[in-house]
Amino acid sequence: MANAIETHELTKAYTVRGGRAFVVDHLNLQVEEGEIFGFLGPNGAGKTTTIKMLLSIIYPTSGTAKVLGEEIGDINIHRQLSYLPEKPYYYEHMTGMEILDFYARLFRMGKAERRERAERLLQRVGLADAGFKQIAQYSKGMQQRIGLAQCLLNDPKLLFLDEPTAGLDPIAHIEIRDLILQFREEGKTVFISSHELSDVERICDRVAILNRGVVKAEGKLEDLLAGGRIEITAGNVPESLRDKVQQDGAVVSLHEGRLIVDAPDTIATDGLVDAIRSAGGKIISIIPRRRRLEDLFVETIAEAERGGSVQEVSN
Amino acid sequence: MNQVFAIAATTVGEAIRRRVLLIILMVGLAFLIIAPSLNELSPRGQQQTLIDISIGILRITAAILAVTLTVYLLPNEVERRTIYTILSKPVHRYQFLLGKYLGSVVALALMIGLMTLVVILAFGIQQQTWSLERISPLIKVPFMMIFQMSLLAAVSMLFSTFVTPVINFFLSGLVWIFGTLINPIFERWGAQGEASDAVTLVARIAHYAVPNFSNLDIAQGAATAGATQIRGSEAVYMANGIVYAVVYVCILLVVAVLIFDRKEL
Repeated sequence: MANAIETHELTKAYTVRGGRAFVVDHLNLQVEEGEIFGFLGPNGAGKTTTIKMLLSIIYPTSGTAKVLGEEIGDINIHRQLSYLPEKPYYYEHMTGMEILDFYARLFRMGKAERRERAERLLQRVGLADAGFKQIAQYSKGMQQRIGLAQCLLNDPKLLFLDEPTAGLDPIAHIEIRDLILQFREEGKTVFISSHELSDVERICDRVAILNRGVVKAEGKLEDLLAGGRIEITAGNVPESLRDKVQQDGAVVSLHEGRLIVDAPDTIATDGLVDAIRSAGGKIISIIPRRRRLEDLFVETIAEAERGGSVQEVSN
Repeated sequence: MNQVFAIAATTVGEAIRRRVLLIILMVGLAFLIIAPSLNELSPRGQQQTLIDISIGILRITAAILAVTLTVYLLPNEVERRTIYTILSKPVHRYQFLLGKYLGSVVALALMIGLMTLVVILAFGIQQQTWSLERISPLIKVPFMMIFQMSLLAAVSMLFSTFVTPVINFFLSGLVWIFGTLINPIFERWGAQGEASDAVTLVARIAHYAVPNFSNLDIAQGAATAGATQIRGSEAVYMANGIVYAVVYVCILLVVAVLIFDRKEL
């Protein structure tokens, strides 16, 4: 499958007192067509800077990038992409319908086409009844939905969404998430920068975790999140059993006969359970704990801050 | 051009709703309405005095409006991130800048037009005359003022591509004062060689580097013989002034586009 986004040693650096500060540091990234790609990282990691470079809002210091097969900087590729910035603002004196009409004019659409698309998209994002309300009267969720509607005006192949669900109430959150999932079904490529890791985990095919402008982990979510843990809780366990169960990276807590074992899911659970039972212990619960994106994120950033290397999972 | 007009239209819509501009406009209108009363208090109470007072108020209000409107045009778009959604569409940066500029010029023209209407009404009621001959200065001067303010807006637009709004406000104000009051004097020094060679050279450079707003000032041209000579008929003088403004605006906008095109947003 072709790449919707491709960067090669893409770098953005600023001159500061005493040297150069790298906001994005030799970034090599490939996003395939039709996938939802999560671009993660703590504040100041370089996520928005990367998006801005890909959209030619700012210019790279060095390196190259292609979007939809064309070098960045070619304004014609903007006909096939869209961008929803973080905390967007829309001219408040305008109605939802007028906002969409304005953005549609930027694509040189005729009046009839503009009206038809605006009505259809207002319907799609659930704002059909609010199309003639001023943006000033829109809630945050409604503003985000009108933002997504403006993103869809040109039926783009590629969407850049910067924090699309930040600050939304749970219902608006789910609605926006469902809309993004629909984009994948339509064959669109979605590049999401987000701190909402639970959303990313649910909707993204692949992710990259960025720290201080450098990719620290990249790959398919299922591969990156492989390797969960198992938590076994038991009662009436004698102290003598501690050393026996403390194996293969298991974390053991034994206090007044209550044993809690937190071990990788590769551990021989059956043998452990048998050992507890034969020592007179009673199994209270066995809970498999899947590795979550939040765990991966925290581990990756902590590792990166300690000076660790890039974790890459091949596809 | 569709993109430019779309951006210009939203700029007009925003400008005529901006509270700070409306307050300046209201204060200007209030002074224009009470101007005839002030004229009554003056010992001469002449028609020409009323015209001078009204045009003076109109000019100061228009200049403050022009600078206040333009200095925030680009910074506001960046701060509110509106520019990002616009530039992610197939819109060139020069189209964005041109759209913002045209929108601000139209908004200024509307505001000057409204103030002119109030001036004419106040003048007509106070002087009990609606003769076109007497009212005509109150139409011609504001008409040329639109070009004057378009030039000032272009100056502010250029500054807004590389300085903060507050610095821009003062810089544009300085250019306005220099170009209105001091530049005609430099023009005379540069042209007539009344001063030494060095002063003449400096005067010439300053004269060409800063826009000469008095070239678009019919009232000043008529009043200050020697400072701004009106050559030929008034129509020719006005046409020359308009060409001067258009050429100067084009130069300023080209420079602004060149800077804005490489600007990190």
